[in-house]
Amino acid sequence: MKKYLAILAVLAMVMGVTVTAGCGGGGSQQEQGAQNVVKVGVILPLTGTEAMFGTMEKNSMEMAYEELKAAGKTTVNGKEIKLIFEDDQSKQDAAKAAAEKLINQDKVAMLSGGYSSANTNVIAGTAQSKGIPFLIVTGSADKITKQGWQWVFRGAAAPSSKYTSALWDLFDKKIKPRNVAIIYENTDFGTSSAEAFRAACKARGINVVFDQGYEKGAIDFKPMLANMKKANPDVVFAVSYVMDASLIVKQMKELDFNPRLFVGGAAGYTMPEFLENAGNAAEYVASTTLWVPSVSWKGASDYFKKYKEKYGKEPDYHGAQAYATMYVIADALGRAKDFTPAGIQKALKETDLMTIMGPIKFEDWEGYTNQDKPTTYVVQWQKGKLEVVWPEEAASGKLVFPVPKWSERK
Amino acid sequence: MNWKGMIVPAIVAVIAVVLPFVVQAPYVQHIMIMVFIWATLGTAWNLLGGYAGQVSFGHAAFFGLGAYSAGLLIFHLKISPWWGLVLGPFISMLVAIPIGIICFRLRGPYFALATLALGEIFRLVFTNWVSLTNGAQGILILSSFPTKLPYYFIAFFIWGMSLLIVDRMVKSKLGYYFVSIREDQDAAESLGIPTTRYKMFALLPSAFIAGLVGAFYMNYIAFIDPHVVFSLSDISVMVILVVMMGGVATLWGPSVGAAIYVALGELFRAWLGAANVLAFGIIVCLVILFLPNGIIGELGTLKRLLSRQKAKAVMAGGN
Amino acid sequence: MSLFLQTIICGILLGAMYALIAIGMTLIMGVMKIINLAHGALVMVGMYITYFCFKEWGIDPYLGMFISMPILFFIGCIIQKYLINRLVEVDSILPENQVLLTVGIMLVLTETMRLIFKSDYRSVATSYSSSTFFLGDISISIPMTIGFLIAMIFTWLLHLFLTRTDLGRSIRATAQDRDAAIYMGVNAPRITVITFGIGSALAAAGGSLLLPLFYLWPDIGHLFTAKAFIITILGGMGSTMGALFGGLTLGIAESLGATYISMGYKDVVGLIIFLLVLLFLPGGFKSLTRR
Repeated sequence: MKKYLAILAVLAMVMGVTVTAGCGGGGSQQEQGAQNVVKVGVILPLTGTEAMFGTMEKNSMEMAYEELKAAGKTTVNGKEIKLIFEDDQSKQDAAKAAAEKLINQDKVAMLSGGYSSANTNVIAGTAQSKGIPFLIVTGSADKITKQGWQWVFRGAAAPSSKYTSALWDLFDKKIKPRNVAIIYENTDFGTSSAEAFRAACKARGINVVFDQGYEKGAIDFKPMLANMKKANPDVVFAVSYVMDASLIVKQMKELDFNPRLFVGGAAGYTMPEFLENAGNAAEYVASTTLWVPSVSWKGASDYFKKYKEKYGKEPDYHGAQAYATMYVIADALGRAKDFTPAGIQKALKETDLMTIMGPIKFEDWEGYTNQDKPTTYVVQWQKGKLEVVWPEEAASGKLVFPVPKWSERK
Repeated sequence: MNWKGMIVPAIVAVIAVVLPFVVQAPYVQHIMIMVFIWATLGTAWNLLGGYAGQVSFGHAAFFGLGAYSAGLLIFHLKISPWWGLVLGPFISMLVAIPIGIICFRLRGPYFALATLALGEIFRLVFTNWVSLTNGAQGILILSSFPTKLPYYFIAFFIWGMSLLIVDRMVKSKLGYYFVSIREDQDAAESLGIPTTRYKMFALLPSAFIAGLVGAFYMNYIAFIDPHVVFSLSDISVMVILVVMMGGVATLWGPSVGAAIYVALGELFRAWLGAANVLAFGIIVCLVILFLPNGIIGELGTLKRLLSRQKAKAVMAGGN
Repeated sequence: MSLFLQTIICGILLGAMYALIAIGMTLIMGVMKIINLAHGALVMVGMYITYFCFKEWGIDPYLGMFISMPILFFIGCIIQKYLINRLVEVDSILPENQVLLTVGIMLVLTETMRLIFKSDYRSVATSYSSSTFFLGDISISIPMTIGFLIAMIFTWLLHLFLTRTDLGRSIRATAQDRDAAIYMGVNAPRITVITFGIGSALAAAGGSLLLPLFYLWPDIGHLFTAKAFIITILGGMGSTMGALFGGLTLGIAESLGATYISMGYKDVVGLIIFLLVLLFLPGGFKSLTRR
């Protein structure tokens, strides 16, 4: 009897999904709804390995939405903007299904979201072939905006090879390294950042004395670090995820390995979790970044404070990207003459908005399409705080270089 | 030809052909395509794992090789990735030969773990061999068709073909050899069955189909990277789950399992928010506990239960 | 030369902690002959309990271990008694459907932890987390050394338990031949419950030892499951000493691979050793001592 019930239950569920999917959750209701709302589909990882970032971005978008609502900016042309969040489970199958569902079933006016590069690729491909505007939040693989895809926009996120613009400026003007070491995690973001950095080194005649990728989630980096210590680089450039980043600097301290400067390539090295886990080993670690709370753009520190108050946790640049993206969406929809894909595409293309990530415009340059020219910074952990040290006009602190040896610190 | 045996396939085929014209929502068609992909992959696994009893934890290797065959054609040679549907299966099969030679010396959990290790080796090599595979940056292509229909019918065709291959094989003499190896390998050997050779006969078509559906996956999803197509937890383990939920060593089991896996996954994802994977896990536990041979595998039990009920009803009526 | 020594020492210290996690799995696999894909998830749960004790009550992870171990023992017993043992009694085509049950359990454990603790990365920063001492120019991490010592003590205690006590002998008997053990009056279902409990408790111990130098998030389990499998096969199923040697071998192999080949290929080195052992020494290191 139990078995019979179990089978029935399972079959009923399968029937259920087919029916709901087939009818689109009640077509009449949908058409009625379409009269007074304009739907924006947002695909973010809310479960799975990337869920931490997806959740932070969802929270930030909702926070921005509430602010916009209070200012009366969520009602555009008599219609209310409605966000529909979909979970991509940090898997690309699910990302594809979510995009299909949002476009075909929910009939969204535009798409946003995309955390990992893999999932962003898939969503962008779907949006492009369907002719629906897609505004990327984080996904940073270079190739996404290098396909000439007219429907894909990247505003708050930089292509991964451009994360280091400010860093190279700093290197050229001040540090002038001769030998560098590159380590990176074996992911899309890691390998493309390393590739761009390697090419930039070659162009300047800088020796790359050590160059290795690693699988994320390793416990012990000491063999790699000991090897790197032997190569004796001036500067280490590392692209790592959150916790790998903290393990790497902690274990550098344990090995008493003293490069003149250690620079992270965004991602892990600017997060609050990094400081928490690395403790005093985080001191003087520099990193490139797209955003810090202390940046001078209007609203940046307010966002940081408000988020911390509301969710009890410090956001990092990922959250700021989502927050700014929400403002871009509201702005573009506010200017759109009609809510057809082409109308929204045109409005997005004409965007010129000041956000907490700086000014956002979608331009075509260096082979990119609809790509904002990012502003990047170099930051350095000083006394447990992230200080902007480059570019000089935005600096909140002074670069400590060369950094003191581990043995010379207290 | 037994005409009764043709009824079910005929009905399924008619429904599958007519369905996309009745339900034109591309989202439903996408779900159906995903069901076909998983059903085909499950059918491939079932030949080796279900009928021959060689539980492989490394089928992602064949799937991934198929996908990369298609992807690398366009990436390096600018040849249409559709040719991967021809090349992929053969590459998978070629690679399956040494894998079989290595792993078939082992039994039970040892075999399972050896295939698991091989699958992981493929993932790591494809991640690190950047000059060949473009590493973790993966391969991104433009999808060839604007609508879902061509994909739908190609996926349907691949699925039908895989069912046909497996059906022909297990109904031939080979099928009896497979089952005898699964039930008692020593006894099979003592009867003079060259077990390694017959296991290979199960592995090669299995790898062939997995490679074929992998190549299709590349064309349909339009982006692959090593972490996705060689994934242990998302491909190798999930395909076992699909087959076991539907019914091991049954022709239709993997397909039923795939339908449930994809449909439930979508349903939960849409309705349950952050708890969707938790709900899915609970369902998996329940199905395995109450239906240890999967849904199709327990149909006999079901029928018995039903007929007993009927008998009771008749008796009650008689009184 | 110092690079070589540094590599070896890192490998040994890490290997011991791998071993402790793997001993739990080798016990379970030895007695039940099933592949437990939930093992890493059990490690993860143990780590969260230790983490919680540290954050809420300031209990040091090395002491928190003694809270997480009994809890995990209890959880393990329940899983075995009410889920896995139920399935053993049922006749099915492939015994591997138990594996699938462990997949389900893994998903449930992982997602439950995600609901409670969110997906955030967490870590425990103790005063000794990154303290080291130097032998010549070779750096040795203190928490890793402590972990190494505790892992050794646990292995030794477990070895004593299995060889000197009645319960331990019953476990070994069940592992060697379940039917014969039942025939000799061993209550096999009860033994499997206790074994799964002990295995889970050891998993929690291994996780807690790693906590001061590693980090924690709900999906961390996969990492440990894979390592524990490799070590279990290297050492031979059901052998505690085998698991210890297996752990050390894997640790050293990975370290050497990372130093002399590349960090990206280090796991491949481990996997190839694994395959070689499977092929040429199918019983694992255990079979060497028998001869």
